[in-house]
Amino acid sequence: MEAATIGAEEEEEEKKPEFDPSEIEYASYGGEHHLPLIMSLVDHELSEPYSIFTYRYFVYLWPQLSFLAFHKGKCVGTVVCKMGEHRSTYRGYIAMLVVIKPYRGKGIATELVSRSIRVMKESGCEEVTLEAEVTNKGALALYGRLGFIRAKRLFRYYLNGVDAFRLKLLFPQPELHPSLVMMAHDDTSQRHPTKRPLEEIPEQEESF
Amino acid sequence: MDERRAAAAAMDRHDHPRPSSIPSGDGSVWADVSPLLEAACADLQEGELIHGDNFNLFAAMSALEIMDPKMDSGMVSRYYSVDEAIENGAAPVPISFDKTVDVQCTIDIMDHLLACEATWHKGHSLAQTVFSCIYLLRPERTSSHALLHSYCRIIRATCKAVVSVVSDARTHEEEDLFTMAYGLPLIGEDEKCLSMLNAVEETIARQLRACKAPLLGRKVIEDLEPLQNNPALEEGYCKAILCRLRFRKHFYHVLMCLKRPQGRGLQLARKHISSCLSELELIRKSTEVLQSNNNETHNCGEDKTTASGCRPVGFDASINTRLSAPTPPRSIKILSWSEAIDYFVKLLHDLDTICSFSLDASLEGILQFMTLLIQDGKLYGRDPIFAVIIKAAGLPEILRNHDIQNGECLVQLVQLVINLLKILSTNAAWQRRKLGKILQDWRVIHIQLELALRQEIGEESGLSADQNGRRDILRQILVWVEEQTFWIASRFLMLGFELELYSPSEYCMVYWYIYVVLVKLAERMHHKLSFTNATAKSKGKKKKGSTKDMSRDIQMPASVLFLQPYICLAEGLTMMLAALRNERMLSQSPSPFNSDHERFIQHFELLQKAGVPDHISYQSFEESTKNVRFSTLVMYNYFKDAQRMAKEVKNSFPNDPERQSELRRIEQVAEHNSVALTVLCRLGSLDSSLKVSFDFSHHPYFATAVVKRS
Repeated sequence: MEAATIGAEEEEEEKKPEFDPSEIEYASYGGEHHLPLIMSLVDHELSEPYSIFTYRYFVYLWPQLSFLAFHKGKCVGTVVCKMGEHRSTYRGYIAMLVVIKPYRGKGIATELVSRSIRVMKESGCEEVTLEAEVTNKGALALYGRLGFIRAKRLFRYYLNGVDAFRLKLLFPQPELHPSLVMMAHDDTSQRHPTKRPLEEIPEQEESF
Repeated sequence: MDERRAAAAAMDRHDHPRPSSIPSGDGSVWADVSPLLEAACADLQEGELIHGDNFNLFAAMSALEIMDPKMDSGMVSRYYSVDEAIENGAAPVPISFDKTVDVQCTIDIMDHLLACEATWHKGHSLAQTVFSCIYLLRPERTSSHALLHSYCRIIRATCKAVVSVVSDARTHEEEDLFTMAYGLPLIGEDEKCLSMLNAVEETIARQLRACKAPLLGRKVIEDLEPLQNNPALEEGYCKAILCRLRFRKHFYHVLMCLKRPQGRGLQLARKHISSCLSELELIRKSTEVLQSNNNETHNCGEDKTTASGCRPVGFDASINTRLSAPTPPRSIKILSWSEAIDYFVKLLHDLDTICSFSLDASLEGILQFMTLLIQDGKLYGRDPIFAVIIKAAGLPEILRNHDIQNGECLVQLVQLVINLLKILSTNAAWQRRKLGKILQDWRVIHIQLELALRQEIGEESGLSADQNGRRDILRQILVWVEEQTFWIASRFLMLGFELELYSPSEYCMVYWYIYVVLVKLAERMHHKLSFTNATAKSKGKKKKGSTKDMSRDIQMPASVLFLQPYICLAEGLTMMLAALRNERMLSQSPSPFNSDHERFIQHFELLQKAGVPDHISYQSFEESTKNVRFSTLVMYNYFKDAQRMAKEVKNSFPNDPERQSELRRIEQVAEHNSVALTVLCRLGSLDSSLKVSFDFSHHPYFATAVVKRS
C-alpha cells in the first residue's frame, strides 16, 4: 500500500512577473546542493509536512526522476518522483510537484512533470500514479490534460481532512515486454550498489 | 549523520569500564556495540543512512523530526501533563466559589462537550475533541461536584457505548469515526452512572419547583438549598441544566436500545429518540436566557461553542497530544454550538428512520435503504440470509429450509450477500472500491453455480422429483446472481459521478457502459420474474391474485419498466456526446502520453476482469459511437422516449414517494436534454459559436446538457 500523502499544486494566478518561457531552465537533480532548494519549495507550498528522510528517500534513489526549474538562477519549481514494482506492475509515482505562485499558468509544471513521465516511460513503467487534493483544480486540470484519469477518491486522505483523488496514467501497451521490466530493475539496482532500494525489488529477490 | 556521531561519542564517554561481553545463555552474548556504531558514524557521508531491510517509503514518511512543530504534535501542547495543567489551575473544582458563576461555567462545559462530541462523530480524534476536557481525564477529581461529576460520567459512558456500537458493526473506517481511545479513561459505568444522573436530575427538579412555588409553599421543601445565589436567575439555570441532563440520559438509553439483539430495542429506542429531540429543542431555547446572563459579550460570534457564548473552563485541545499516535498534528476545528445541535437533530432523525424501518427481510428494500443490522450471520439477527436470497430470487418461501443451502457454493453465496450489505453501509469512496473488487467474487460464484447446474442436468437419467426441484432452484438462483452482479456494476459506475471521478471527456464511454450494463440488468430481471410466474402457473396453484398476475404477464413487470427510462437516457447521452466528439464540438486536445483506449481500460478494468458483461471491449464502444453525427440523431430523439417512459412508469408506483421524485428528476434531465439535442441537431455543425457543457443540476448521475452561444 502506498503510504504517501502528497499533494501537487498549481493554480491560475493574477499577478505574474514578466518573463519569457524560454528563460526558464530545467535541470535534473544534481546532488546535495539541490536538496535545500527542493525542500524549501515543498515545505512552503504543500500542506503535508515531510521529514528529511522522505526527501532523501526520493532524490537519492531516483535522481533521474527529479527536476528543478530555474529562472535567472532562482529555483521556481520542482518535481520529485519514484518508480518501482507495485502489485506486479512497474509504475511511476509523482510525489511532489510545486511551482511558486508568480510563475504558475505558464506551463512550467506541465514541462517538469512531462520530463519525469518521459523518463518513467523509457524506464519501462506501465503506468504513473499520484494523489491530488480534490480541491486543487489547477493540478487536476493539468493532469487531466496529460491523460490521467481519476481512479479513486480517497476519503479524508490528507492531514488537513481534505479528500484526495488517486490519478493514474496508463501508457499504451500493445504487448507486454518482460525484458523491459527486468532492465528497469537492473537500472535501479546498479545506480546505487551500496544503498539498494530493497522495498522496490522484492519480487526480483524472490525469483532467485 | 552528525547526531548519530554525537550520540555514539556520548555513549563512549562513560567513565566506568565495562566488560566487553555478557553471556546471555544459549551460546550467545550481549556485546557493547558503541565502538562499532562510532566507526560506522565516522564512515558516513552526508546524506547516507544506515537502515534495515524494511526501510521503505512508509518508514521514511513515518519518521518525525522531533521539535519541529509542523511534524511533532507534542510540540504544540501547552502543558507537559494533565497534572501540570491541573496544578496551573486549568480545571478547578469547584469551578468557582461563587455558586452562580459555578453554575454558569458548568453549563458552558456541558455545551462545549456537546460540540466536541459532534466533532468527534464527524471523524476527528476522541483525544482532541471530547477528551480535551481535563475534568474527563481525572474522573475522581470531580466527585465533590455532583452536577459536573454526573455529567462527566455519562459522557464517558456514552463515548464508550458509541465506540462499541460502531466497532461491532465493523463497517466504519478510521476516516469515518475515530474509535481509537489510546489510554483515555473511557469507563462504561452503565447502571451506576444513570442512577447518579437521575439523583442529580431529581434534586434540580426540586430546586426548580421550589423557586417557582410561592413564598409560603417553600416551607414544605426542607433542607433544599437553591442551585445558586441569584433568585432572578434560578429558574432559567434550573431549566437549562435539566434539559441538558435529560438529553444525556435519553441519548444513552437510545444507544443501549440499539445494542439489543434482533432489533428488539428499536421501538423503545424511538421513544427515547423523540425525548432527545424535544430536550434538544429546550436546550436550543435556553440559549436566549444564557446569552442574556452573560456579561462578557466579547466572545459572541458564529464560532462560539456554548449557548452563553463564553469560553468554557477546563479544556485544552493539546492536552493529549502526547497520547496520540506518532503522526503530525491534524488540524481540528470544533463545530460551533448551533452546528452541534443541528448535527444531533439530524443524527437522531436518521436513527429514527433506521429504527422505523420494517424488518420484512426483503433484500430489495434493504438495498434501497442501505442500512442493516447483521448479527450472528442473520439479517437483523433473525432471518437466515439463505431465506432472504430465496425470497429475492423469487422462489417459494417453502424452500427456505431446503438442504441445497448446505452446498459449498450456496454457503459462499450467503457470505457474499453479507459482505455486500456491509459494503453498502460504508462511505461512498470506500464503497465503490469494494464494489469493484467483489464483482470478481460474484463472477466466481456464478461460474460455480453454472457448473453445479450442468452437473444436475447431466445426471438427468432417472430424474426424481427432488432432483427436478434442485435444478429449478439452482437455475433461479443463477439468474438472480447475474442480476445482482449487474446491479453491483451499475452502482459502481454511477457512484463514480457522485465521487467526481469522471471528466467530461470520459462521459461518453461511461454512459455507454452504463447503458450496456442496464440493458443486461433489465434482461436478467425480466428473466427471473417470468420464470417465477411460469413456475407458479405450472404448479397449478391458483391463488386469489392469479388473474391479476395473468394480466401483468402481458406487459413488463414494474421493476423492469422502472429501468427503461434510465436505459434510454444513458443511450441518448452516449449518442449526444459521441456526436459532439465526432463533430469536434467539445474542446478536447489529444493527450501526449495515451488515448481514450487507455482511459477506457483504466475506468472499466474491474468490470472487464469480471466479464461484466462478457464480450464487451473498447472496440465495441468505438464501433457503436464512431459514426454518430447529429444528422443521424435527428431521426430519433432518445430523450423524448426517456421522458415519456418516466412519466408512464410513475403510475406503477403510486405509493412510493421516493421513486416518484426520482422519476421526476429523470423526466427533467430527459426534457432538458431533449431540447438541447433538438437545438444541436438543427444548428450544431453550422454554428461554431455554440458551446456545450454538462452539469448535474437535475440528477446526481445523469448529466444535463447546457447549450450556450459564446
